[in-house]
Amino acid sequence: MSSKSYRLSGGGRLIDRARKFHFSFDGKPMTGFAGDTVASAVLANGQRVFGRSFKYHRPRGVMGLGSEEMNALVGVGDGARHEPNLRATQAELHEGLTAVSQNRWPSLNFDIGSINNKFSRFIPGGFYYKTFMWPQSFWKHVYEPFIRRAAGLGKAPEGRDPDTYESIHVHCDVLVIGAGVAGLAAADAAAASGAKVIIADENKQFGGLADISGGTIEGTAQLAWATAKSQALADAGNVHVLTRTTVVGHWHHNHLMLFERLADHDPALLAAGVPRHRLWKVRAAQVILASGAIERPIAFANNDRPGVMLASAARAMAERYGVAPGGAGIVFTNNDDAYQTALVLKAAGVEVRVVDSRGRPDGVLVAKAREAGIAVDVSSVVSAVNTTMGGLNITGVKVAAYRRGQARVIKETRVACDFVAMSGGWNPALHLWCHNGGKIRFDDALATYRPDRHHDPIQAVGAANGTFDLSGILNESYAAGEIAAKAARPILKAAKLKAPEAVQAHQQPLEALWFAPATGKYNEGNKHFIDYQNDVTAADLELAQREGYESVEHTKRYTTFGMATDQGKTSNLNGLGILSEATGKTIPEIGVTTFRPPYTPFSFGSIAGPLTKQLFLPIRRTPAYQWQVDRRAVFEPVGQWRRAYAYPGAGEDKHAAITREILCVRSKVGLLDASTLGKIEIKGPHAAEFLDRMYTNMFSTLKVGKCRYGLMMNELGFLTDDGVTVRLSEDHFLMHTTSGGADRIAQWLEEWLQTEWTQYKVFVTPVTEQWAQFAIAGPRARDVLRKLEPSFDIAHEALPHMSFAEGKLGPYPVRLFRISFSGELSYEVATPANYGRGLWNEILSAGGEFGIEPYGTEALHVLRAEKGYIVVGDETDGTTTPVDVGLDGLVSKKKADFIGKRSLEQSYLRGPDRKQLVGLLTEDPNEVLPDGAYAVKAVKDKPPMEMIGQVTSSYMSPSLGRSIAMALIQNGRARLGEVLSFPLEGGKVMKAAVTDTVFYDKEGTKLNV
Amino acid sequence: MSELLFESPLAGLAGPENLAVSVREIADRGMIDLRGLASDRNFMAAAKEVLGTGLPKAPRSSVSWGDIKVLWLSIDQWLILCPRTKAAGLLAALKAALGGIHALAADVSDMRAIIRVEGEGAREVLMKGTSLDLLSGEYVPGTVRRMRYAEVAAMLHVVEDDVFDIYVFRSYAHYAWEFLVTAARQEAKIRLFGKQAMAG
Repeated sequence: MSSKSYRLSGGGRLIDRARKFHFSFDGKPMTGFAGDTVASAVLANGQRVFGRSFKYHRPRGVMGLGSEEMNALVGVGDGARHEPNLRATQAELHEGLTAVSQNRWPSLNFDIGSINNKFSRFIPGGFYYKTFMWPQSFWKHVYEPFIRRAAGLGKAPEGRDPDTYESIHVHCDVLVIGAGVAGLAAADAAAASGAKVIIADENKQFGGLADISGGTIEGTAQLAWATAKSQALADAGNVHVLTRTTVVGHWHHNHLMLFERLADHDPALLAAGVPRHRLWKVRAAQVILASGAIERPIAFANNDRPGVMLASAARAMAERYGVAPGGAGIVFTNNDDAYQTALVLKAAGVEVRVVDSRGRPDGVLVAKAREAGIAVDVSSVVSAVNTTMGGLNITGVKVAAYRRGQARVIKETRVACDFVAMSGGWNPALHLWCHNGGKIRFDDALATYRPDRHHDPIQAVGAANGTFDLSGILNESYAAGEIAAKAARPILKAAKLKAPEAVQAHQQPLEALWFAPATGKYNEGNKHFIDYQNDVTAADLELAQREGYESVEHTKRYTTFGMATDQGKTSNLNGLGILSEATGKTIPEIGVTTFRPPYTPFSFGSIAGPLTKQLFLPIRRTPAYQWQVDRRAVFEPVGQWRRAYAYPGAGEDKHAAITREILCVRSKVGLLDASTLGKIEIKGPHAAEFLDRMYTNMFSTLKVGKCRYGLMMNELGFLTDDGVTVRLSEDHFLMHTTSGGADRIAQWLEEWLQTEWTQYKVFVTPVTEQWAQFAIAGPRARDVLRKLEPSFDIAHEALPHMSFAEGKLGPYPVRLFRISFSGELSYEVATPANYGRGLWNEILSAGGEFGIEPYGTEALHVLRAEKGYIVVGDETDGTTTPVDVGLDGLVSKKKADFIGKRSLEQSYLRGPDRKQLVGLLTEDPNEVLPDGAYAVKAVKDKPPMEMIGQVTSSYMSPSLGRSIAMALIQNGRARLGEVLSFPLEGGKVMKAAVTDTVFYDKEGTKLNV
Repeated sequence: MSELLFESPLAGLAGPENLAVSVREIADRGMIDLRGLASDRNFMAAAKEVLGTGLPKAPRSSVSWGDIKVLWLSIDQWLILCPRTKAAGLLAALKAALGGIHALAADVSDMRAIIRVEGEGAREVLMKGTSLDLLSGEYVPGTVRRMRYAEVAAMLHVVEDDVFDIYVFRSYAHYAWEFLVTAARQEAKIRLFGKQAMAG
């Protein structure tokens, strides 16, 4: 490997030779300058190999200039800040940067995987499909691990990402994608009209290729014009300029995502806490696509060797970074543009020779090259690249005479050189045009596709539109900018800017060159690469064709050409060209594949934005939440709520805590945070009638100040919610829903009022979060309440079970419901939420002398199960009727209609084999049935067994000193006393007897004390 | 029993240092949710009688009268803002005036948390959490708008040009607060469509 420096003594517009940066590549210390990219800096240090290719592990170097780079993917940074697969041509150098090559083992220069290259005749297109298909059992343990180890390029970072990310939503009149001359011109025109403009470019500087394209605008160099225009746009109050920002995707209605890299280029910014990336979600009334064009490689033998690069990249390396692509080289072209590369390199003191496939190139640039003393071989191709062993260094090329369409060359001449700059023409960067279904058409003169129609308000200008001459670019861009501004804001007065005068050397047309032949079509060891990133060659594509992959979309998947992060930037058209020649069809007849977002990869961090850690998921807190946290409660998620599940004491596990809490409620008194229950105020002259229709049971007969438990079905007759509703006054009710049903039921009520029963005068106002609500449950509940100095009579006779009072407890305003979900004497007390924490404290201190303890949701569930109370969602599964769970008594037989009534009368919901809710007592009282365990008709050695039902709730009951369960069992109520079998995993079978569902205090005497 | 203890949703949380805008909780505001039919003259008159101002009928608008503000929430729903100490009295007066009229007034002073975001660049801070175009001419002082903010339901009230009140349900207060102070970090400050430095 050469270690000769490729840094030229002069040139390098973007680098600051006074500021030297130290960095490392694969651990090797190197130096570069401020303004360098990793690509230019590593090349300047004489290192040409940047990594190994995906499939054949061939050594690869820098090929491109910016985001089109498909070979030089490197990992940058260490540890948690390591980022794989960055294009070395885009990664900006900074002091202390560490970069590593990828996909090589054990080292870059000697790679074991490159044996794939030797055996490549056995790895043709579709190799994976052909080889790893059978036997099926091999997939998981043999093939997949092999492919996973062999595939993939970079390594994932280690540890938690230390940086911050964010996103922002922005609306604008005109979004200009790309800030080359075309984009700047369009933005200038749109902004001058007063439109709100965003102009974004993926590079750190605006100007696109203005600096390497020659020509003048308004008498000054293109670059000077672009720089001045960029500054003017940055100064404007109605323009937002974005550098280092890639428009990664375009979706319906001009919704676009922009990926801004704020701090990757400067570790000091990251250290200061600047967000690393920002994702812009932009809604643009109008879009102008000025994404430029991407140069095409040429398919010639071994066109992937380090030192073969695109002509524009070679030119930019010299002009922008003062780095030569090598010591002496060949410019291989089918067009005039690449002659600029020859001229630039020659001027920089690099020896070059042009090989042009065209017969009679005679453009201005060709003449200039000849004048400059550059040798030009016309009607010629590069037919092979010679290298040292392993393909690391180019030693020369073979040049052969060529006539258009010739399948193989005859006579080759060796030319010594160490690099090849190639240009097969330019392809408009159509990706964003196509993301959301824009149509494209083939242009024979340019031998490429260009934008056609689009259903979104988007225009393409400049090279992205297939317009390559400077005057044409300026004219169409100024016109497009003005049109966009006017379309976005018709009220604006068009500024009618005139496109500036431009002068540029005229270029003669190119001649399409899809394949540069060798002596034999595919000489042994020679590969004509089409898709470098996916290691797809011309031979692979032809093979796919011969194997019958006629559709280009099938060929793409079979060979992987145009896929993955590269999205066919450099390969797409060359691939179509090869297929065209292989089939004899024209390129439009071949068809096109689909470009998908993102244009280039963007970070997961930017997608997540700030929604990580405590912002990952909204957590809802009740007013007593912080007390519970301080008390070291164990929490469980209930929707987005976090509810206290149990309150373990010091040295106590949660099972012990649950048992203690349950026994405390049964013997003394407990306190539960029930604030999450849904609360809905319902008022109006038809409120009672409305509730009669919503619930299965009757509410119009409920007396003021009384509570009633209600069941709610959907139209299908299935249970959907339950809860206690109180009548506050004749026309005013307060409904409680399940915690999970709070929002859903409020919407359900509104829907019926707004769409079906519009004649009803009823208002529904959800007030769930206005109230903190606590249950005080247990034989001493009334004692606790009395201690709290109620302003109303709480005696049993004055406030019996299922009644309501409103007043004060001490200074606290409350609504008090005497209701019970535990079977004990129980009150639920509600106070405005901001008093919740205070009242919670007061209840605990008032209850101290009665042994009060807080209890969590698990104790709540066991307590209710001991009483056979259902939980909608446990005992019901969306196909369960009130009759199934034994609550027929709550289904009114008197009411004319209510939701679900008709369904409930259908034969299939009244059939004999419905699953019915029953209680279960296991034979061994110490065994707890697993939740969800299946009861079977008959136990067999192995499944399948006929299932007759399943366990819906199952607990160890401390109150009974044994396990209890409920289950939905076919014909369950007819099976009282029957012993059912529950086969479990591992062959064990549990047996349990069917009982009724009330296990504790069957007479309900404890409620009425 | 001891004194009444009042604890607002974000009690005890101070805005972190080094924010680009000021972020604080407003805890002393009373809120009444009022439902009624705008087509019912008696209802509209009774409300005006008590509030001193008519209920706004234009979508997303609000009106003020003295220390009372009325926010339009939907065609038959308004949110009345007043000093917290006055809420009970105002509710009682409303209920009295609305006797016999189809309406529903409820004290919801504790149902929502209010976070005030104030200062130059406040609109940009909020745009990190909502897709509303806060830079358009639509969001003038007085505008009320429900929105999805970050991952939760919220309501936006434009108080002054650079002063915004964000309303979220009480249980989401910490989430919204946390999101806001993250978005408002000085290091993440952004001004849109202004004069910018041009690099490169």
